[in-house]
Amino acid sequence: MIITRRQFIPLAAGAAAAAFGIAGCSNDTAATTGSTPADTGSAAETSGDGEMTLFEEGKLTFATSPDYPPFENLEDGEYVGLDMDLGRAVAEYLGLECVYTNIDFDGIIPAIVAGGQADAGLSGISITPEREEQVLFSDPYYIDNQAVAVMSDNTAITEENASEALNADTVTIAVQSGSTGADFAAENFPNAKQLPFPNFTDAFAAVQAGKADAVCGNKAVVDQMLAGAYSDEHTVLTSATGEEYAIAVSKDNPALVDAINEAIAALTEDGTLDEIIAKNMG
Amino acid sequence: MNSTTRRHIPAAMLALITVMMSCCMLLGAAAPAHAMEAVKCTGRPNSDDDPTIIMGATQSRITFEASVEEGEGVTQFVLHVPDGTEFNTDDLAVTLLTGDDLMTRTEVPYTETVEGQDIVLDFDEPIMQAGHLNIIVYDVLFPTEGGDMQVGASYTTSDGSADGTAIEGIPTIPVQGISKTEQLSQWLGEQPWVQAWNSNRFLRLFFDPTILVTSFPVVLSGFFMSIAIVAVAFPLAIPLGLLLALMRLSKFPLWRGIATTYVNIVRGTPLFLQIYVAFFGLPLAGLNIPNFPLGVIVMFMNSGAYMCEIFRAGIQSISAGQSEAARSLGMTRAQTMLYVVLPQMFRVVIPNLTSEFILLYKDTSLLAAVGIMELVMYARTIVASTGSITPYIVAALFYLVITLPLSKLTRILEDRSRPKRGRRRRIAQANAAAEAAKAAKAAANTAKEA
Repeated sequence: MIITRRQFIPLAAGAAAAAFGIAGCSNDTAATTGSTPADTGSAAETSGDGEMTLFEEGKLTFATSPDYPPFENLEDGEYVGLDMDLGRAVAEYLGLECVYTNIDFDGIIPAIVAGGQADAGLSGISITPEREEQVLFSDPYYIDNQAVAVMSDNTAITEENASEALNADTVTIAVQSGSTGADFAAENFPNAKQLPFPNFTDAFAAVQAGKADAVCGNKAVVDQMLAGAYSDEHTVLTSATGEEYAIAVSKDNPALVDAINEAIAALTEDGTLDEIIAKNMG
Repeated sequence: MNSTTRRHIPAAMLALITVMMSCCMLLGAAAPAHAMEAVKCTGRPNSDDDPTIIMGATQSRITFEASVEEGEGVTQFVLHVPDGTEFNTDDLAVTLLTGDDLMTRTEVPYTETVEGQDIVLDFDEPIMQAGHLNIIVYDVLFPTEGGDMQVGASYTTSDGSADGTAIEGIPTIPVQGISKTEQLSQWLGEQPWVQAWNSNRFLRLFFDPTILVTSFPVVLSGFFMSIAIVAVAFPLAIPLGLLLALMRLSKFPLWRGIATTYVNIVRGTPLFLQIYVAFFGLPLAGLNIPNFPLGVIVMFMNSGAYMCEIFRAGIQSISAGQSEAARSLGMTRAQTMLYVVLPQMFRVVIPNLTSEFILLYKDTSLLAAVGIMELVMYARTIVASTGSITPYIVAALFYLVITLPLSKLTRILEDRSRPKRGRRRRIAQANAAAEAAKAAKAAANTAKEA
C-alpha cells in the first residue's frame, strides 16, 4: 500500500496508540500474573505474542447496545446483564479495566471495523457468515434460539397456528433491525410485513401500541421482556436456531481474540460462566 | 412446529395400537414405520432490495427440518441439494431437536460424505429419540437464473423398514434470478482496482463500490418516501403556521395563549420525542393511524410551529405605516391583513420558508427511529447487514441532491430581497406603497359596492 501524506498522520497516530496499548497490556498482565498464580501460564502467553492493541491503555472497551435484557441493560445508569458480567469477568481475567460504550446494535459491527470506538463488541451478537466477513468472533459463550410473541388477547395468532398464521400479508412483525430475529422472520414468514426498530424495546412497545402484531427476536430476551414490562404479551412460537453468541473483535486484532478466548475458556473451566448465566437467566 | 408434533400424537397412538395388534398375529413382522416427515425447508433471504427475497448466485443457506419418530432408528440420511446449486459442508450443522417444545439440542454424531449434489450423513448411532432432525447447509449459492428449488431427502433405518426412502412433501424454495445491481456488485468485487480500493479501510468502510451499487436502488425507494412525506407535510404546515401566527398576533388573550403554548412546547422539545409520543402514545389513546400519515402529521405539526415564528416575524417586519394607511382608507383589520400585509409578508419570508423546507426534509431521518421506511432506515438496514457505512454515504447523496439546489435558491432569493443600492430600495418602497394604495382602493371599492 502506498502511504500518502494524508494517510500518514492517522497511521502514525494509530501506531503510537498501538505501542502504548502493548505497553499497557503487558504491564497489566504482569500485574495479574503476580496476583493470581493460577493464571501465570496463560497470562504470560498473552503478553508473549504482545500484538494485542487496545483502544485505551489498560482498558478493555466493549461496544454494547443496552436494550437487550437479560444480556445487556441499563439499571440506574449501571450496565447489567449476562454480557455485562461476562465483559467484566473477561477484563478482570486479563487484568484490564472494563469500560462499556453505548452504540446502537446495528452500529456495533461497523464501529468495530472502523476502530476508534471500542475494542470489542459485546451485545448478544450471534455469529453469522456475513458478520464473520467483517469481524473476528471469539468462541461462543451462550446459545440462544428465536421466539415470537404476540399480545395475550390476540386470538388470531395462537400457539396452535402460529407457524401458518404469522406467514400472512396481513401480519406485521416488529424486529430489531440487523438482528438475527429480522433474518428469522424474513426466512420463515416471508409473506408478513416487517417493521424494523433500531432499539429492540421499541419493537415490544410497537406490539403494545398495535403498530405490529408480533415481535420476533432472541428467546432469552423475549422471555425476559415478557416477564417484566410486557407481561400482557405471550410467546406463540419458538425455534431452536441454536445461534451462538460471541464477542466481536476487529480483524486487525487477532491477539485480542486469543486473549478473550483464553479468558472465556478459563471462566468456563472454573464455573464462573455458568454462574453468570444462572444469575442472569434466573 | 408445535402443531406438527401435536398432530402426530393421535397418529402415533393409532399406529401403536396397530403395531400391537399386528404383533400378536405376526411375530417379528416389521411395523409400517411412522415415516420421517418434512417439517420445513427454507433458504435464507439475501437481497438488500427486499428482505424476503432469495437470489441466485448470492450467499444463502438452506435450513431443512424433518420429524423423527421415537425408535425409528435412522442410520443414514441423504440430503439432495438442488442441481446447479453450489454448497459447502465446512460449517454443516446437524442437530436433533428434542423435548416437548423441540428446544433441546441433542448432538447426533455423524460422518458426512459428499456425492455430487448429495450430502450423505451416516450416524454413528441409529437415531432412536423422537424429535426434529435439523440440518443447516451454509455457503449455498443457488443457480443464477433462479426458479423453484426442490431439496430432496431420503433416509435409511436400522430395521430395514426404510432403505433410501424418499421424504415426500418438502416445500420448494423460491429463488429469484440475481438482480442487475447484485450482478454488477459481484462483477465489481472481482475487479483488481476495486480490490485495491477496498484494501484501504477508510475507502472500504465509506465508499465500497460493491455496496454502493447494491444500496443505491434500495436507498432510492427511501428517498421517494422521504420526499413524499415532505411533499405532503410542507404544504399542510403553511396554513397551520399562518393560523398560529395570526393567533399569536391576535388581540384576544385566549387565542394568543393557545398559540403561544403550542409553539413553545413544540419548539422547546426535540422532534425525536414528539415522534415517539405520537408513534407509541396515539395508538394507546385509541388513535391507530398508519405509519405514513402518522409521519406526515408529526412533521407538519412540528414544522407549523417553526413556520408560525417565521410568519410572525414576517408580518411584524412590514412597517406599521402600511396597515395604518390601509386602516385609514377604511379597510377592516381582516382586509388589511389579507390584501396589504400578507402579500408583502410572503415575499419577505420565502428564503426562510425554503430553509424550513430543507430542515423538514432532513428531519424526516428521525422517523427511522420508529421504523418508518425512509431514506435513513433503508440505509440503516443495509449497514446492519453488511457492516459497511457506505449506504449512509449514499443516503447523504440523496439529501444533498435536494438540499444543495435549494440552498442555492435561498441565496438567490435573499440577494434579490435585499436591495443593494438605495435607489432601488426607494423605487421598491414607492412601488410597494403604490401597490398598497391600489389594493386598498380596490378593497374599499368592493366594500362600498357590497
